[in-house]
Amino acid sequence: MVTGELVSQSIVNGLLLGGIYAVAALGLSLVFGIMDIVNLAHGHMLMVGAYVAILLFAATGITPLLGMFLAIGLLFALGIVLQKVLLKHVVGEGIEQPIIVLFGLALILQNIGQLVLGGDARTADLGIPGSGIDLGFVFLSLPRTVTFVVAVLLIVSTWAFLQYTRTGQAIRATAQNRTAAKHMGIDTDRIYVITLGIGTALAGAAGALLSMLFPIDPYIGWSYLLKAFAVVVLGGVGSILGTLVGGVVLGVSENLGALYLGGGYRNVVSLLIFLGVLLLKPEGLFGSGGDGE
Amino acid sequence: MVNDDSPVTRRSYLKGTAGAAVTASLAGCAFGGGGGSDDTLTIAGTVPETGAFSSLGQDLRRGYELGQARMNEQLDRDVELLLQDDESDAQTLRQNLQQMTSNNDVNMIWGSFSSLLVTAGSAYAENQNLPFLGIAFAYEEPHRNDNYEWTYAPFPKSRDVARSTLGTLELIPESERPSRVGIWEPNSGWGREQAEYWETRLGEAGYDIVLRETFEIGSQDFSTLISQSQSADVEVLLSNPTPGGGITAVNQMQSNNWSPDMLKFVRGADPSAWWSALGDAGAYALMCPGWVPGLTGNGNQQLRETYTSEYETEGQYMPVNVGGSYNLTQVALQAVQAAGSIEAEAIRDALRSETFQTVIGEFGFEDNGLPAEGELTAPTGQWWDGAQRLAYPNTGSERALEFRYPIPPWSER
Repeated sequence: MVTGELVSQSIVNGLLLGGIYAVAALGLSLVFGIMDIVNLAHGHMLMVGAYVAILLFAATGITPLLGMFLAIGLLFALGIVLQKVLLKHVVGEGIEQPIIVLFGLALILQNIGQLVLGGDARTADLGIPGSGIDLGFVFLSLPRTVTFVVAVLLIVSTWAFLQYTRTGQAIRATAQNRTAAKHMGIDTDRIYVITLGIGTALAGAAGALLSMLFPIDPYIGWSYLLKAFAVVVLGGVGSILGTLVGGVVLGVSENLGALYLGGGYRNVVSLLIFLGVLLLKPEGLFGSGGDGE
Repeated sequence: MVNDDSPVTRRSYLKGTAGAAVTASLAGCAFGGGGGSDDTLTIAGTVPETGAFSSLGQDLRRGYELGQARMNEQLDRDVELLLQDDESDAQTLRQNLQQMTSNNDVNMIWGSFSSLLVTAGSAYAENQNLPFLGIAFAYEEPHRNDNYEWTYAPFPKSRDVARSTLGTLELIPESERPSRVGIWEPNSGWGREQAEYWETRLGEAGYDIVLRETFEIGSQDFSTLISQSQSADVEVLLSNPTPGGGITAVNQMQSNNWSPDMLKFVRGADPSAWWSALGDAGAYALMCPGWVPGLTGNGNQQLRETYTSEYETEGQYMPVNVGGSYNLTQVALQAVQAAGSIEAEAIRDALRSETFQTVIGEFGFEDNGLPAEGELTAPTGQWWDGAQRLAYPNTGSERALEFRYPIPPWSER
């Protein structure tokens, strides 16, 4: 029987999960919005970030919350190398070539993960099992709450960076019109490097956060790529506020779908919402730049 | 009570093995066993050494290889085992089998892990008219609906798993016995079949099925099911998730501060990865993997001796799938011995008509390849201190343990 308590618990669980979905999607949205390429390796970069946090935790006991910074640094470097070595030759050359390069990279990352770490699922945790805040009608799992708060902080930080720093403004200018930005003296090649670095760093951050909630294996890349796609479509490409809202909508609708229709239909409701938005508002909920970026 | 820990030295084991080999070869000379043929028995098989089930690949391979060695000792012909990595993928499995059977004169096929991969191998064997043996395959429906002629499963099936669950519950003193059962049903054919058996069997025994909810295989978020179980006051939680799903679910039970009094995850808690991923949080979980350390008789002691002498292992508890796959090889050995031939039809007829003694018990097969109803007691294991140990049935082995119930709350663990 579906009780009010179950409904509120499902909404809260979905909300907390949605924060991480949003971070997972933010890098994808940013790279797509600015560089006009679909990073098919985004989910696999998230997997790499998760493994960085898990291995650091296993080796030193350092919590993934701190390990996240190492994941951010490494994935930022990976993004820079990727842009400088591989993608600079194909960005702007149509949509097929970057897709092929990034698809290949996804397969390489998955196979490296499998070869080095095996296929077993691995986890890390915050060292606070079973703790949380019982509000009576809902229980706030502490790991989920902490990861949600960190996820929101990451999203706000990214927004502030784009809004208030010179580099952020240059990134936004490049997104609006690359040629005009170039004429205004912006080094757009450098902007692309930085953008991909930030996009992959956000994937690394999302992976580290996910490692505290879900077991990670080398094959999770595709499923999180799909979730990130859904969030980007829901929220609107390039919209940071839209990404957060899209993530929360996805998380809550998944949980309510599972509650009312059964867990086998968990993704059905969210996919229906996804299709509905595509049909009725293909630019996404905030696709017209509603957050004023 | 049987104690399976009687000291067997390596010397006495080797003497016994040599004696058995000599006896077998003499029998071959005297009676022309196996036709006195020099023909090699060639077996093809796959194991998941990479991919989603890779944590089980090595265990399956070891069980098969130990079995092949024993077959070579006891049959009057060479036994060649062709094993390839199926990458946990049904398509790769089919390609591998096709390549092996095209390039070799294969007489028999051995299965991989999970109903998904085993049914793929079985379909190929049925098409090729080759005897097929598969473990980690509890799903009964294909046996009944797919007109199996060549597929045999020396393994506890869904109905046996349900019976074993009831037996495990009955180990609890009546005054402390739980009554409220929750079933998490994976959205698969086997998920539905197992849930039906649990609901029927436990319902008839007087238990209240207070929750039966489906979930999607591959799901990463069990929080809704956990909330529903908590709300329904589930005391006994039963499910048959994939290994990854089972680990995820327990992880989230921990972070949501809820656990049932008894937890049985068939197949989910089978691999060693359960403990490496969950550590102490994985303790108390029950599983039904076909074979569990603590079983006695029918070559269990011999298996343990061989395993520990062959492989450098840290613990005294063998991984469950080594025993399960070794049991399969015992069936193959006895079927070929009974057939006296390596002809496919002769082996199939022996599989249909003989009774087999293996490390999981004594049983025959129905014509459709199911183990004969009621003959197999599906052993239930429980994770404790990094090892899976026999909880049901009670054999008195030192490797078994007294069923631990209830699972303490997270705050007390």
